[in-house]
Amino acid sequence: MKRRTLMTAAGLVLAATTAGAAADGLPFRKVADMLYRVMSADREVYTRMVVQRLTVDRDILTASEHFEDDEALPLPAQMFRFGAEAVMDHTEEFSHALLSLHPINRKNGPGTELEKRGLEHVAGNPGENFYGEEELGGERYFAAVYPDYAVVEACVACHNNHKDSSRTDLEVGDVMGGIVIRIAMD
Amino acid sequence: MPSKTIVWLAGAGLLGAAYVAATMVVGGDRRMLLIGKTTDAHHQIETVCETCHAAPPFADAAVARKALNGTCLDCHEAGLKAAGDSHSRKLFRGSRMAVFRDRLDARLCTNCHAEHRPGITRAGAVTVATDFCVACHSEGGQDVRKHRPSHADLAFDTCASAGCHNYHDNRALYEDFLVEHAGGAEHAPSPVHGPTVRLRTRELPPDKSLGRGEAVAPAAALAVPGVLDDWAGSGHAAAGVNCAACHAADADAMPDGTSVPWIDAPPMEVCGSCHELQTQSFSGGRHGMRGHPRIARPRASGPWLKWVGLADPVPPEHMTVGEARLPMRPEADPDRILDCGACHRPHDADIVRAAVEACASCHDDPHTRAYFGSPHHRLRQAELAGAAPPGAGVTCATCHMPGTGRGKALATDHNQNDTLRPNGKMIRPVCLDCHGLGFSLDALADAGLIGRNFNGAPAVHVESIDWAVRRAAGAGRDAGRPLPGNQSRQSQLPSIESSQEEEQ
Repeated sequence: MKRRTLMTAAGLVLAATTAGAAADGLPFRKVADMLYRVMSADREVYTRMVVQRLTVDRDILTASEHFEDDEALPLPAQMFRFGAEAVMDHTEEFSHALLSLHPINRKNGPGTELEKRGLEHVAGNPGENFYGEEELGGERYFAAVYPDYAVVEACVACHNNHKDSSRTDLEVGDVMGGIVIRIAMD
Repeated sequence: MPSKTIVWLAGAGLLGAAYVAATMVVGGDRRMLLIGKTTDAHHQIETVCETCHAAPPFADAAVARKALNGTCLDCHEAGLKAAGDSHSRKLFRGSRMAVFRDRLDARLCTNCHAEHRPGITRAGAVTVATDFCVACHSEGGQDVRKHRPSHADLAFDTCASAGCHNYHDNRALYEDFLVEHAGGAEHAPSPVHGPTVRLRTRELPPDKSLGRGEAVAPAAALAVPGVLDDWAGSGHAAAGVNCAACHAADADAMPDGTSVPWIDAPPMEVCGSCHELQTQSFSGGRHGMRGHPRIARPRASGPWLKWVGLADPVPPEHMTVGEARLPMRPEADPDRILDCGACHRPHDADIVRAAVEACASCHDDPHTRAYFGSPHHRLRQAELAGAAPPGAGVTCATCHMPGTGRGKALATDHNQNDTLRPNGKMIRPVCLDCHGLGFSLDALADAGLIGRNFNGAPAVHVESIDWAVRRAAGAGRDAGRPLPGNQSRQSQLPSIESSQEEEQ
């Protein structure tokens, strides 16, 4: 656990110091890869060390999409979204989102052709990422799609049982969706 | 050579432009600058233009728009946060939302709530088309007609008008909440409003209570007929608040009550020194918004400008009855200012007057008039007579200025907006303490019933609970709330036979 935490912290520092360097020549792909490492690590740590441990392993708390009403833990996907929103409070140089071909909340489905192709690619080619460029709102973006895995039983149980889930056969280790990172190219 | 007429016209034009410019930049009566009737409530601050128009003069349009929209949050951000804003501005940021922003840029409040546009303004200061939901919920994965069979034939102008959805506040309307509260009874077995109970049963420290003979004030003040007896029976005396606490609040000490500055009518700031939560919320509401800390103060004009008549007409510090746009009683004094004393009489033992009688002394609309004799009113009379428990009575304040919070945060919310419009905002903090969700939805969707102040039964039925229950039962899986150990919650869902067939 300590090693993972240290790795996460190191990743944060690394990303923070290099993301701004994109304009100085660091390839967009390299920056996106580093950002993904930080995001993915944080996501997995929260899922394993907080949600899985407290709701499933020790059964002392609940996690709920209505965490305010239920006085429960936010779901990992919500934590990810809150982080993405917090980033946008500070910069529009890059943005990130957690999307899926089988989202529980439909707004988290693919919204652009690149997102669709990227999500299909990471779902059909485990272990591979997807990179491309697209224009949105008149701006050019480098976009990367990374696989998002079901890392623990809590992910699988929630997605398979949720009434709004269109996929109910997930197993631990499956690709549930993808982390999409966009970096403004101009 | 230009003709004399042209010269005179040019001169008059220049003078007029100079006057307008001076009015905008320096001071003067700004009502002439209003480009259209201001929305209700905002009309109270319509001459302090810079409250909303916060950008520097001649700023770029984008800068001005951003600054303008930023000021909306000065007053409304707390309410949106408390509402768990379903469509917060954050949702529309980011590159992937560009396609939706092209249709409706919901990052800007003014795209749906344009000010000074009386011809297109609806309740809630809404100016966007009634079918605005179509912008995002009519295509692809967001197409509700495709993904919700129950919605297949619904028109988009019914989303936010049929009692099913609100744009911002869906705390009582989201699907899992509907399912969880399905089947609720019309009335709770022993209906009382929880925060009101806590407010009315709050105990004051017994050792602080002051008696009639302990009042310390100048002789002239004590000689005012009835004031001493009133104070001795008031909550202030019961809480150990002597005269000087309010009337000589600036004094460090008051040995005899005669050697300190004495204020006959203490300002609201004095009330706020103890009743902080109440005055804070008051300044966010329709009675007290002129006192909100983010409302711009009048610009200070130099004495010479005042001499030539260009000084700002100082906007009144308080709203007055005469400025109200709602119907007021003919005998209500139009010059009466709305400060704490307008509803509360600090020397009065009758501390419940402010909850009904004070309101009805000014407001004169069908809903207010119908209150007297209504079921809610009868409950209040029963409570006052000791025939019903504390909190059983329903007053104007119970719904429009309800008690909120617990412990030290327990206070009456003086901001009517928190429960007013859309009226679904009232369901969780008020209605559900006494009524089931289904009954509440139906009652609040029946405009006629509201006008009759709930004398009668709802003639409208909002189907959202029925649909939500059918969908949850039909899905055969969890309703979005995993339990410890991921036990299914399905067993807790109401069972509706043949639900799948009906839904499909």
